[in-house]
Order: sequence, then structure tokens, then C-alpha cells
Amino acid sequence: MAQSVIKLQSSLMREYYKYFSKYARGKSPEKKVAWVTAFTPVEILEALGILYYYPESYAAVIAASEREQPLLKKSEQCFLCRDCCSYSCCIEGCLELEDGPRGTPPKPDILIATNNQCNTLPNWWNILAERYNVPLIVIDYPGEAVPCERAYEYVTAQHRELISRLEELSGNRLDESVLGHFIENSEQSVAWWKKVAAALPEKEIKPTALFDDISYLITARCSPDTAELYRAIYDEVSALPEADKGLIPLFWLGYPLWYHADRYLSECLDGFRICGSNYITWWSLDYSGNDVYEMLFSAYNYTFLNLSQKTRTKRLTRLIKDSGAVCAVTLHNKSCKCDFVSAKDIGIPQAELEIDMIDREFLSLEKAKKQIELLKETVCSR
Amino acid sequence: MKILSLSGFVPEQICDTVRFTGYSGGRAISHYCGYAADYISQVLNDDSIDGTVFPKSCDSARIISSYLGSADKFLYQLPVPARRDGAAVSYFAGEIRDYKEAVEAHYGVRLEDIKERAEAVNRRNEKIKELYEGLEDISYSDYLCGIHKMLTLPLAEQSLPEPKAASAGGKRVYLVGSFLAAEGILDTLERSGLNVVGDGLPESGRLVSAAPCKIDGDIYKNISESILSARLSPTQNNFGEILERDIKEIKEKKAVGVIFLTQKYCEPYDYLYSVYEKRLAAEGIRSLKISLSNSEDYKSSELAVEAFSDMI
Repeated sequence: MAQSVIKLQSSLMREYYKYFSKYARGKSPEKKVAWVTAFTPVEILEALGILYYYPESYAAVIAASEREQPLLKKSEQCFLCRDCCSYSCCIEGCLELEDGPRGTPPKPDILIATNNQCNTLPNWWNILAERYNVPLIVIDYPGEAVPCERAYEYVTAQHRELISRLEELSGNRLDESVLGHFIENSEQSVAWWKKVAAALPEKEIKPTALFDDISYLITARCSPDTAELYRAIYDEVSALPEADKGLIPLFWLGYPLWYHADRYLSECLDGFRICGSNYITWWSLDYSGNDVYEMLFSAYNYTFLNLSQKTRTKRLTRLIKDSGAVCAVTLHNKSCKCDFVSAKDIGIPQAELEIDMIDREFLSLEKAKKQIELLKETVCSR
Repeated sequence: MKILSLSGFVPEQICDTVRFTGYSGGRAISHYCGYAADYISQVLNDDSIDGTVFPKSCDSARIISSYLGSADKFLYQLPVPARRDGAAVSYFAGEIRDYKEAVEAHYGVRLEDIKERAEAVNRRNEKIKELYEGLEDISYSDYLCGIHKMLTLPLAEQSLPEPKAASAGGKRVYLVGSFLAAEGILDTLERSGLNVVGDGLPESGRLVSAAPCKIDGDIYKNISESILSARLSPTQNNFGEILERDIKEIKEKKAVGVIFLTQKYCEPYDYLYSVYEKRLAAEGIRSLKISLSNSEDYKSSELAVEAFSDMI
């Protein structure tokens, strides 16, 4: 019998957080622990029986729990500049004070960072390596700028080295068929998530749910329960009423505002409906390939922020067209320089807001309201 | 052909480039590295520049091509590996070859003197290294400004003027940071009685630390090996090695203070500083962090430098 959405969500969250200090009650995991960035090939870790945690995701949880400000202040006192990515500032404060809504994640045995999203994360992981004095592996993904064959050779050498080092750490040998199985799970999760996300332009879906539900694709994409959860969510959204087509269709271009109860500026968007978002497509990884190495290369070398501006513009334009949006709120995120200019030449009017996805004090709400009002006038006068 | 280059990772052995040292009247991009923004401004506004080459390294550099996409100039982003092992050397060698071929294709030229240029770069670096090893005896301002001027010239015209002697009795300090575009700060350091005895700057300490490029064999691999052999930039993601290497030199040179120069919104150095400061404190070495807002900003730090000099 199909499980309910809530039951599946609870189960996945319970599994993920069970070793956080608030719930573990001093009990350490029996398996080795890695801290990873959001686009790490975790299928490898899963196949080798290594637990993995995402500090970035936890920073989002901290902000959603309205706990980020004292942590940001603490990290600044510890010489981490407030201009740095606020995910990192928030977590540094959390670790320094050993304070967070779910406590702190279990201490890492190894740190793995990738640069297929930005170079900030490997920098941040370096300071974590100093804190915990554990090995750091940085996986360098050249992205689209490098010819495919050379990039594949370079990335695959690193994937093989990663496997070898994790085999040593875990004491387990990698079975490629098991790795293939976890990749299949990830593919299934992605496939069902895409169906859910595709319903946004058509159905009366609150974007908040999508911004929150994508977290499972980040933290548990290899789990069969994630595909099951998204299938169940898809069933639910399919039954929702049609979207109100009388409202102005708007594309939310950038991160969710994790500190906001709705994850977006709902108070500024009267008369609009969010019909699309690029953030909810970032983890729709393409695992195409003939073997596990090709599949991992394809998925992790060509992440959205590792693409050329030309390809990003092309993808965004397609997404916007498919969503039916006639305007966009574009977020100039202080914490994510790699996403600064994603929205170039997209062909619709935009309100470009200066925001930070974690630090609620960064936004000028009055200014944002005025910009969105102006956007509305522009759209309505057309 | 006048290509503006942004970084020490750009292989000078391939062809002449003008090293970007700073620009007046740059455009501001909020929360974005002022040095990179000034570079973008010069490319867009300076008609004498017909090409650009910059690395895929820090986040600001990664997105430069997004800002320059509309410029009708030669644009080349050089992917710099975040590692230094054999796979990275081979990979980077391929990238260097591609860069050479792209320049040839765009400008309709043949670049056939790479080995000769490699020898010339080796000789020039050797000369800088000689000066670097006697840094405490020379004016650091003369030394570094001389390097900056030299790097904007074609390789065949590069020569380093002899710096004047350092003032006697200066307090020994070590300098850390990215390319020091705001040269005005060098005078401030000297006026405040500070004697720079070593640095980790890309145009100085890091440049001279690179192994000479071998000439025989696969020249692209040799260039790659040489560039990747240099002391690390924080964009290469091994803070542990940077700390060990720098602290060793700081102690050997008996520096009593460290000046850490960052560009505002330069995350690699901001992250590095957070661990660097703690390590220096553990060693009992005082440090001053100065955050510069663009390639001409130095006046705001004068008081801080003077106070730091008094303190050490």
C-alpha cells in the first residue's frame, strides 16, 4: 500500500537527523561520516556505507527556525567576514556555539567538496578541515568550458581516487552494481521530482512546498523512499485545482529566502502567482551514460552553475517559456556570486532584488516592494 | 594583439599579454570583487585592449565572461585545476594548448616561439627571485612597483630596475594577499616604518616559487607543471599547505607582524584569513587585515597601518 506524504517525509527526516546532537543523546554513528557539498556524487558514499551530511542544508533549516542571527554574529567574531557566503557563516557560528535547532551534525571523518556549484564551498570546507583536522577531498569539475573527452578523463580519475580513499576509510570494497543501483534510485527521484515541479505553472501549488520538498532530492536522492515520496506528492498536486490564470504569472529566479515563513516575499506579490522557479530544477541531474562513471560525470560535471552563460541563458529562457511567466523577480544574492548573472537576456521584465538567502537583515523590504510594484506597472501597461 | 590578463595562472610562455594592474573609473558591481570589476571595466572601456584571458578560479573570476559577453573582443577563460596531481598537470597542459590555438585562430597568427619564451620567463623569474631573497635590504615599494610595470610590457621588453635600499631599522613584516593593485599602500607601509621581508603575493613570492619551466619534451606539460608547482593560491583549495609554507617563511624571516591584504568581496582570502589569524595568534604573531574596495583604494587604511606599526 502506498505510504502517505507525511509518513515518508517524517521517515526521511528522522533517518537524516538521527545522529544530530539533539537526538543522538551522545550516541555516535557506527559508520564513517562525511560532510559533503550539495553536488557531491553521494551515490559513491551510499554504495560504500558512509553517512553524509550537508551543512548548507542545515544552514537553511537554521534560518527557517529563525536562529541565524546570533550564529552569524558569532562567526564574525571568529574572524569569518560577514561578506562570505552566509551558509558558511551560519554553520561556523553553529559549530562554534554548538547550537542549532537540531543541535550539530555528527563530527566528520572526512570532508568532500566539489566546485561544480561555486568555489566558495571548497574554500569553506578548507576552514572545516582546519577545525576538525580531518582529510579534505576537493573534486574539480571543469564544466562545459572544457572538451568533453578531456573533462571526462580528468573527472573520472578523481572519482576513482575518491572511491579508493573512501574504500580505505570505510573498510568496504565498492561493488559497481551496487553503485549502479543507487544511481538508478537517484534517477527515479529526479524523474518524479521533475513531474512535481512541472505542475507548478498549471496547478494551485504554493511554491513554499516545492522549496521545502526539494530538500529530499538534495539530502536523500539515492533513497528509494525519495522517489516514492515524490510520486505521492505528484498524486496530491495532480488533484489540486487549476492555477488562477487571472493572476500575473511570475518567475522566481534565484534561491528561496530560507528565513521567510513562505520562502519568498509573499507580502510583496499580491496580484501575482509564482509559476516557475529555476532553483527547483538545480538538482534535476542528468545521469545519462553507458556505465556508472559516465553517468556520474554527466550528472556532476554539468550542473547548472557549472555551465556557460550561453547555455544557462538558453536553459532559463526555455524554463521561463514553459512556465508561461511574463515577468520575473530576480535575486541578486550576496552569498552566491556564481548566480549573479544567470538571468541575463531572458527576455521578460525583471525586478532585481538585493537579498541574502539566510541573513534576514540584508533585505530592504520597502525597496523590494517598490521594485515589485514597478514591475507590476510595467507588466500591466504592456 | 593586446590581451589583458588577470592572473598568474595565465601562461606567459604562450604569448605576450598585458597583466592587469589596476584601473581608474571602474564600474561598481555590488558585492563583487573590486579588482575583478575594475578588470571588466578596462576591457569594456579601453579601446586599445582587443582581448582578454582570465582564469576559472574564484567565484568572481568564474562569472567574468557573463559580464563581458557583449564585448566584441577575444574572450578566453582558462580553467585552472583545483589540484596538482598528475591528472591535473595533463589536464591543464591540454587547456594551455587550447588557449594557444584559440589565440592563433582569433588573431590569425602562428605562435612558434614558445620554448624561447619559456626560457625568457625562466630568466626573468630568476632575476625576481634574486631580489626576493634579499627583500629586507631593498625598498619593497620600488621592488613591487617595478614588477607591476614590467608585467604590463611584452616579454622581450621586460627588465626590472634596481630598487633603492630599504630604510634602516624598519620593523619586519610579511605580506599576504592577492595581486596588490593598490600600490599606494606600499608607501604607507614604508612611511610607517615597516620593512616587508617576504610575501605570498602572486606577482612576487608565489611567482618566484614556481619551478623553472623545463624546455625539453612536451612543452605544454612543462608549462603546466611549472605553473602548478608554485606556492598555492587559496583558490586552489589547500589552506593547510598555505599555512604551513607561510608560517615557516614568516618564522625564518623573523617577521614580527603580518599584513593581510584582501579585496572586499574576495572570498578565497576572506576564508583563508579566518584560519590564518588563528594560526598566527597561536604563534604569537600579530596581524592586521586590510580590506581594499578596489584597485585604487589605499588611503582608508593609512591610520590602521600606522597603528599596527606602533603596536608591533
